[in-house]
Amino acid sequence: MTPNTTIRAEGIVKTYGRQRALDGFELDATTGVTGLLGPNGAGKTTLLRILATVLAADEGSLRILDRDPLEPDDRRHIRRRLGYLPQDAGFHRGFTAFEAVDYVAVLKEHTEARARHDEVRRVLDLVGLSDVAGKKVRALSGGMRQRLGLAQALLGRPELLILDEPTVGLDPEQRMRFRDLVSEAGHGRTVILSTHQTEDVAAVCSQVVVVHHGRALFTGGVAELVELAAGRVWVDSDRDPRALAGWRLGAHRYHHIGDPPAGAELVEPGVEDAYLLLVGPHVAPSDANEERDAA
Amino acid sequence: MTNEVWHLDGELAGRYADGRVTSVLATSVEQHLLRCETCRRLMQPSVRTDRLDHIWDEIVERVEAPGTSLLERLLHWCGVDEATARLVAVTPSLRGAWLTGTTVVLLLAFLAAQTAPQAMSAFLLLAPVLPAAGVALSFGPASDPAHEIVASTPHSAVHLLAVRTAVVVSSSFVPAALASPFLPGSAWAAMAWLAPALAMTVGTLALSTRLAPHVAASGLTILWASVVVQGFVRHHDPFFAATPSVQLASVAALVVSAAVLLVQRRDLAEVLRRVS
Repeated sequence: MTPNTTIRAEGIVKTYGRQRALDGFELDATTGVTGLLGPNGAGKTTLLRILATVLAADEGSLRILDRDPLEPDDRRHIRRRLGYLPQDAGFHRGFTAFEAVDYVAVLKEHTEARARHDEVRRVLDLVGLSDVAGKKVRALSGGMRQRLGLAQALLGRPELLILDEPTVGLDPEQRMRFRDLVSEAGHGRTVILSTHQTEDVAAVCSQVVVVHHGRALFTGGVAELVELAAGRVWVDSDRDPRALAGWRLGAHRYHHIGDPPAGAELVEPGVEDAYLLLVGPHVAPSDANEERDAA
Repeated sequence: MTNEVWHLDGELAGRYADGRVTSVLATSVEQHLLRCETCRRLMQPSVRTDRLDHIWDEIVERVEAPGTSLLERLLHWCGVDEATARLVAVTPSLRGAWLTGTTVVLLLAFLAAQTAPQAMSAFLLLAPVLPAAGVALSFGPASDPAHEIVASTPHSAVHLLAVRTAVVVSSSFVPAALASPFLPGSAWAAMAWLAPALAMTVGTLALSTRLAPHVAASGLTILWASVVVQGFVRHHDPFFAATPSVQLASVAALVVSAAVLLVQRRDLAEVLRRVS
């Protein structure tokens, strides 16, 4: 484990009954934003729950912040330096935004009321919710509730931030704003972010891990991932049945991935192209391209 | 009467800025400052911005900090620290609906017992079940929409459960205890719910080291209901739960449950983690 390594996971296995959610998962993460990209059911949430010390792995070796999460003392130590935004981050709907974060702050051992309230104000300000601090959670929009989730995760300036699908359910403007927040959060700390939005990965991640069937299919930089699809993406005026996948870009313009025919008009690949080449065309990472279908 | 206009001098401006004047004099100064540009200029160098920042922080704190509920104030009055009282306040079993439900059910049992002693079975059936149900609802996803976040915090899950259980049990016991003196039969018979209630509460916690809390509470409820109903159907005795055999069995169950809980206490944190 190098001095900067925040997480080292080797051969992580987790099963639910007969289903193997994680099947020998490997991950090394350091300072910066690491994005876990994969379809629903790939094992991302299970992995993040293990990293957040909410769930224990069945097999494998895991070090978080140079501690063993299976040891109670180490686990408490990790939790003191951890911020976690689960996929379905719920809050008591009768709480105000301030009260919801204050409640988590108590659990994060901010016991002195005045200092705790100052910290709550600081994180609400960071996510731009100061103006609605007195509003009930039930009256907040979906985007505001996501930011509230991020605010509680930022309490106590954690060294490790774990965010499970933080941009799900947000409109494009909210998503952009949230990406800015995550990018900011990634300065000087380790952020592990799960998503099935390839745009999220391209926008904020310094490292990307493609997750499929509980394993890491690819680990590296965004540019390296995109490079996998170099020379394998082309456009044509008609749909090409030989392509691995293809979708309509506009009138008489089709985007294809796979092995291009001779003389094909090659184009610059994107994260989504590389992702689809890795995991196959039937696993959509994004809901942004509804017109895409397998050729 | 003179028309001479009063103004601040440097000494008074300094004392006012430091907050070293009486409230009456401070009011006069403030009224004057509102309409006197000259004195405002005089005041400017004396104003301590750190003190203003401090005052502003106090105002923000008073406006934004969460108000304390009646329950929190009550707990604080009983010596519970502010942070713990805050955690207890969000336990669903303590919310109005739960307390109202508890009180209404017990009131119905009490009224029924007044009109028909046979209905004592209903009271003796319900009174022990309520605290156990409250405990089962005090942890796990059902108790807290933020349970996943809670599970990732360093706060001891066992401590959280213990505190919530103590308050839930108290809130369920109080209405039952209040109803007891008005129930038909002997004072002993009216308090017959106590031992089974304690046995069911501690039993729920003990079984929760192996089963989901709601499954544990449901199982014990079915067991207790079968005892009370069988007593009523077979022996036509509405006070069957108060018989020495049932009471002794309850005490024995309480002792065994407490022992199991004591032995398993180290594992309880893991169990709570699993439950979440």
